[in-house]
Amino acid sequence: MIKVYKKTGSVFYKIDQLLKADYNYSLKNLLRGVFILCLVLLINSVQAQNIPAQMIRGKVVDQANQPLIGVSVKVKNTTRGVTTDVNGRYQISASKTEILMFSYLGYETLERLIGEQSTLDITMISETANLTEVVVVGYSSKNAKQLSSSVSVVSGDKLRDVTSNDLSSLLQGKAPGVVVSTNSGDPTESSNILIRGAGTISAGAGPLIVVDGNIGGTYNTSDVESVTILKDAAATGLYGSRAGNGVIIITTKTGKSGKPKIEFSSAVGTNKASTGNFKLMNTQQLYDYQTTFFTPEPAALSTNTNWFDLAFRTGITQNYTLSASGGNDKTQYYVSGNYYKEEGTIQDNDKSTYNFRTNLTHRLTDKLKMAVLVNGIYTKNNYDPSGLLYQAYTNMPFDSAYNAIGGPRDPRTVTNWYGRDNSNFLHNLQFDQSNSNNLDLSGDLNLDYVIAKNLSFATYNRVKFGSFRDMSFYDKRSSSGSTNGGELYNSSSNESNMISSNRLRYDRSFGQHTISALAVGEASQNYYNVLSTAVKGLPPGRPYASTATDVLTNPRGGKNESSFQKILGQADYNYANKYFAVASFVRERSSRFGNNNPAANFYQLGASWIISKESFMDKISPIDFLKLRTSYGTTGNAEIGDYAALGLYSIDVAYSYANAPGAAPLQKANADLNWETQKTANAGIDLSLLKRIDLSVDIYQKTSNDLLYRKPLPATTGYSFVWENIGSVRNRGLEFNLTTKNLVNKFTWETNFNMAFNRNKVLQLNEGAIFNNPGSRQPIGLGHDIDEWNLPVWAGVDPATGDPLWEKMILDADGKKFLTYTNNYNSVSNSTSRQYLGKSAAPKFTGGFSNEFGYKGFSLSAFFNFVYGNYVYNDSRFYFDNDGVYEKYNQMVLADGWNRWTKLGEIATHPKPILGGNNASNSSSTRYLEDGSYIRLRNVTLGYNLPKSLLGQLKIANARIFVSGDNLWTGTRFSGVDPEVVLGSGESSFKYPISKKILAGLNISL
Amino acid sequence: MKKINLKPIFIASALVLSLLSCKKSFEPSTAIDENSALTNAADIETATIGTYAVLRSPAYVRSSHFLMEYPGDEVAQGQPSSDDLSRAYRYTHLATSDHCTSFWRQAYFVASAANKIIGAIPDDASPDLRQLKGENLFLRAMVHFNLVRVFGRPYPQNNGDNPGVPILKDGLTEQEQLTIARSKVKDVYNFVIADLIKAADLMTVEKANPFASKQVANALLARVYLYMEDNTKAVEFANKVINSGKYSMLGSGEFGNYFRGAPEGNTETIFAIRHTKTQDEDFSAIGSMYYSGDAAGNAKEQAFSGWGEFYASKKYYDFLITNPTDIRLSFISPYKVGGVLQMNTSLNPATPMYYINKYSLQEGVVNLSSPVYLRLAEMYLIRAEANAKLGNSQASLDDVNLLRTRAGLSGTAFHTLGSIAAASKTILDVVLEERWLELAFEGHRAYDLFRNGRAVIRNYPGTHALNVSPANFNQTISSSDNRVVFFIPESEIAKNPALIQNP
Repeated sequence: MIKVYKKTGSVFYKIDQLLKADYNYSLKNLLRGVFILCLVLLINSVQAQNIPAQMIRGKVVDQANQPLIGVSVKVKNTTRGVTTDVNGRYQISASKTEILMFSYLGYETLERLIGEQSTLDITMISETANLTEVVVVGYSSKNAKQLSSSVSVVSGDKLRDVTSNDLSSLLQGKAPGVVVSTNSGDPTESSNILIRGAGTISAGAGPLIVVDGNIGGTYNTSDVESVTILKDAAATGLYGSRAGNGVIIITTKTGKSGKPKIEFSSAVGTNKASTGNFKLMNTQQLYDYQTTFFTPEPAALSTNTNWFDLAFRTGITQNYTLSASGGNDKTQYYVSGNYYKEEGTIQDNDKSTYNFRTNLTHRLTDKLKMAVLVNGIYTKNNYDPSGLLYQAYTNMPFDSAYNAIGGPRDPRTVTNWYGRDNSNFLHNLQFDQSNSNNLDLSGDLNLDYVIAKNLSFATYNRVKFGSFRDMSFYDKRSSSGSTNGGELYNSSSNESNMISSNRLRYDRSFGQHTISALAVGEASQNYYNVLSTAVKGLPPGRPYASTATDVLTNPRGGKNESSFQKILGQADYNYANKYFAVASFVRERSSRFGNNNPAANFYQLGASWIISKESFMDKISPIDFLKLRTSYGTTGNAEIGDYAALGLYSIDVAYSYANAPGAAPLQKANADLNWETQKTANAGIDLSLLKRIDLSVDIYQKTSNDLLYRKPLPATTGYSFVWENIGSVRNRGLEFNLTTKNLVNKFTWETNFNMAFNRNKVLQLNEGAIFNNPGSRQPIGLGHDIDEWNLPVWAGVDPATGDPLWEKMILDADGKKFLTYTNNYNSVSNSTSRQYLGKSAAPKFTGGFSNEFGYKGFSLSAFFNFVYGNYVYNDSRFYFDNDGVYEKYNQMVLADGWNRWTKLGEIATHPKPILGGNNASNSSSTRYLEDGSYIRLRNVTLGYNLPKSLLGQLKIANARIFVSGDNLWTGTRFSGVDPEVVLGSGESSFKYPISKKILAGLNISL
Repeated sequence: MKKINLKPIFIASALVLSLLSCKKSFEPSTAIDENSALTNAADIETATIGTYAVLRSPAYVRSSHFLMEYPGDEVAQGQPSSDDLSRAYRYTHLATSDHCTSFWRQAYFVASAANKIIGAIPDDASPDLRQLKGENLFLRAMVHFNLVRVFGRPYPQNNGDNPGVPILKDGLTEQEQLTIARSKVKDVYNFVIADLIKAADLMTVEKANPFASKQVANALLARVYLYMEDNTKAVEFANKVINSGKYSMLGSGEFGNYFRGAPEGNTETIFAIRHTKTQDEDFSAIGSMYYSGDAAGNAKEQAFSGWGEFYASKKYYDFLITNPTDIRLSFISPYKVGGVLQMNTSLNPATPMYYINKYSLQEGVVNLSSPVYLRLAEMYLIRAEANAKLGNSQASLDDVNLLRTRAGLSGTAFHTLGSIAAASKTILDVVLEERWLELAFEGHRAYDLFRNGRAVIRNYPGTHALNVSPANFNQTISSSDNRVVFFIPESEIAKNPALIQNP
């Protein structure tokens, strides 16, 4: 099985094999046992079916005594069910001891014991707030009121106020502790999500995505029914190894039995780049500035090109969804198609996706239910091939973009081009292209089988295929392609993922006690392969490999594989719907870890108490609901490369020489490499007051141990890095979510406010180290925030000379540090003078604030998100705010409050400009570190529901028109176009600004 | 109904069992386990190719070129740049230098890759394996020599008793590798010499010039001895190479195209770092800094094919063109428009754009080049310099004139003892001038001056003028200047505090 190790015959290998064999054996045995048990129970349950039934009839109405059509009427604990007809009537066969369940979207589910009655008329009560909200958690759905863990739920409608088809972008500010950040306004890029702070260094920090009950999967935001975010160990724990960064569970829409429902929704609008506080110089400004250190040519003044404006455009966003859903008591369906196209605000950049989904559920027998979910997403991306963004910031206003006849100027034919890179992206854009397309297909087959009254078995299986192709073409007529007579890069990759999750569930009530137990066996396998080529010598305008006359670089290709296996058990206990407890255990194995540690165990415990159900609370009338929750548990992180533990020689073409294949040391072995584990404690309180106010508060502590880290090594070891488990980091925080219904009559007003505070601290590093990555900007220091900046400290400008100054720390003989100032950067770029100033790339708090107003058919909502206390390294100022290093790049206009030294004694923020640079003033220091706090009006939507009276004639059930604006306003002190960066890395470089969007839309349902 | 129910359970169970019996561990497709990488002769050969490939990395080839060539007086940077390469040229070094860091790291990666193979081959192995061991010893010696040139003071200063670089020999424990300190310059030289002598002894297979063989090791020994001022040994080893018959000087007719062909076809090249047509580094190539033009060799404006911001200095060009027939002028492509030499006007005075093409146009690919590390002409110059120092003046001049003949010079262009005396020059002056003319842009000049106790004197337009305000293009760096050597990379000191920084 592991050929590599056979030759070594190491003891470790043999022990490991033994352990592995044992583990597999026990897992197989367990599943075999499950299988036999299923058979036995099946036979029993078939025998226990003979209870005399009678026909029950009735009518279901709402509180206004109007008949309700399509209400689901089911016999509890069976799969028998019907729906009400157009008059709200139903009939169903059931025995006296059975219970009928009535459920309808937006109404509370009712249960009635049949007893001696043959007619059961029902009045359904509309659901208030989330009283009976069912939350999909882990491997089951639970009543939100009975959870012991910390979860946030965002409904599909709340999610889709902002127009995007990137889920992470939609989640920004919607749930406390879910920090979303994006690096770019590029529609082809997705945002980053970090839940409850950074608990990892080199391993993946993003949460695990679970779609429709199984890890991984594909979805389009238009099909999302709800998103559940699991934050503490009691909730995430069942996902074991991969839950360390939190879990996001996506549930797609399903059909409801009843009349077919056809819905169409559309939104169309425009995108414009937001430029914030940032301005580049125009010709006169740049000329005047340059005269202070250089002699620019006066001829330059005759042109004033705004390259930034030329690079950007007004893009169009379109989003259309058509869906049909419905069904009967046996079969329900949801079918949808979505087309989304967003043009980026820079020329030639857009994203189009075509999405198709069919979700079918069918009751094969009374006991067996089948669900088939099929999703296909085709995505086409166009990328900028011309280096446009960089040039937008750096090209000189002195150069004109167009020639005398109005075409883009080719800088190569111009003798006097001022800009450094001799590039005009408009010229290259005519010929060059770069794009990709991506097809993802996934199919789920889920079976639920009721083995006996208390016992059920479910199997969830998914196969997912992805194929990805991309190409970049640099035409021989463009400046990027001319050297090699045209260049073409192609790459294609395929991936497949298979997962099977098999679950046995046991539920039982006796007296006030309810218990449920769950056992799961799960395995997944992932495969990926890639092939890429680069060729040259192509005829103009023919971006196809077969037209090329030579290869540019050698083709590359290879594959990656990994597998996971997991078993888990969970037990829930509920006493009188008042006291709850949950405990679980997970054992998981991954091919990614060292042969000494392929498997790990995780466990979780949780408890909660609904205090408001206690009799002593009856007197406290304002409190409708009060619950205390607490949980503790362990989870893990395995998001590293597939072969991180192995000692490897690369046989890649990069190690060929003089046309002969070669191999060279690539990676240092670490057979002890182990899972990163998180210990998370959480305590929370849920409170409802006066039926108007809902408040949830959580405090947590998450300690990550055995952090997976690509530890940099000195070159004399022969390696750049080794994967190690190092030290630990702690995140502590508080989050709250407050929803208030301020007005509830004709005029409605609802407010939501959520905030999360997180504090991070590195608790331990290996071998007494003070830094993990000494010398880097964020070196991960013991006792400090993991993302904290450690830089030479900028001390402003010497009033006497106009030179830059830095704080130089000097160690005296006793090891005491004292402070001096210097204009010599080299003397401060060492560990003595690099300082921590308590400034981190991670925010002190984040949150969201929304208000919704309603009056008759009108609704107005406004949603802000905010980030406070993080610092951003504005890296591109190195190029356009550098005191004369380059005379051939445009420069930024100094921001408010900045000034440049011009004469003796002047107190200034910016040194005297000198051609070639003033004493390395643009080197890495706190000079370019800026406050990244911001508050943003993320969305405003004004909607109007057309009156039913009007719609009735058109046979339309509902129609809504709306106008919506995204990112209309941002408050910040950041000097760049936009303060938002990937929080953690905290670097802003040649930013693609996010889009301001204004959209109008129409939603119709028949 | 009763029968249907069994099916899904069967299916589900079969699925579960089949999935759980799937593979539990995987091997990567483009890498092999380190324990099986060196277990047979064929694999050791593959791994030796790998050592050369580690050397071929731009981190080594490109960065080491900037550090070794730009401190000289034959190049001029015509416009400011924030790329760290400017600091090598302007002597405004930083301990955080990207190029110092890349070069240091990649050089030790070469030594480390070599060490694994050196340790795996006993000295009494088969001739083929002994050859491979010798090649790895050569590569290890070569990177140590270059490291000590860049980070350690010239050997003649304090007779090698200054701090050098860590010696990464085979068989060190992991702890030793993590905490290794700098050895003295002389100890590094002795280590290099021991490796090269052993390499020359082990290597018996004739190989083409992208690979090491006996005479390649001898050639580097000649240079190392010259740097140590062991002139007798320098002559001895230069003679070994010259007399081996393996190499011959290119004729005057071919000389102008020395760098345009693949190195294997060049009889003068002793060792070059081979770049094939699919290893074109394009704008990141060494040649991109020196040249911008088309594949036919016509100079074009900057950024046509390369950055073209380092030029032959006015000082060098003016000296070279004192003999307008010198074939070595063909290694310079002045950028002219309508017959008029173009100037880079970023500086005042402006810099003439004398593009250099020694690193361009190999096999018709603009930015492709296989940098030549050792060639026969240098052996004659080593012998000439050593003979000059040993007092063998005529022998020295004969070698110099041999090169001048090949360069197409004749008559009064030849040096005689009389003409030298008349010009108030020494024999050594003439030898160093010839080294300058012949080996320009090949990474020798600054070392040739500093190891002979001479200064780098710049008196021509270039960004070094921006070091002071107001700008002044006269710059002199004496051989005792601190900045004759670079700073040890700060990031390496941070990871290994045993490394002590240069002043």
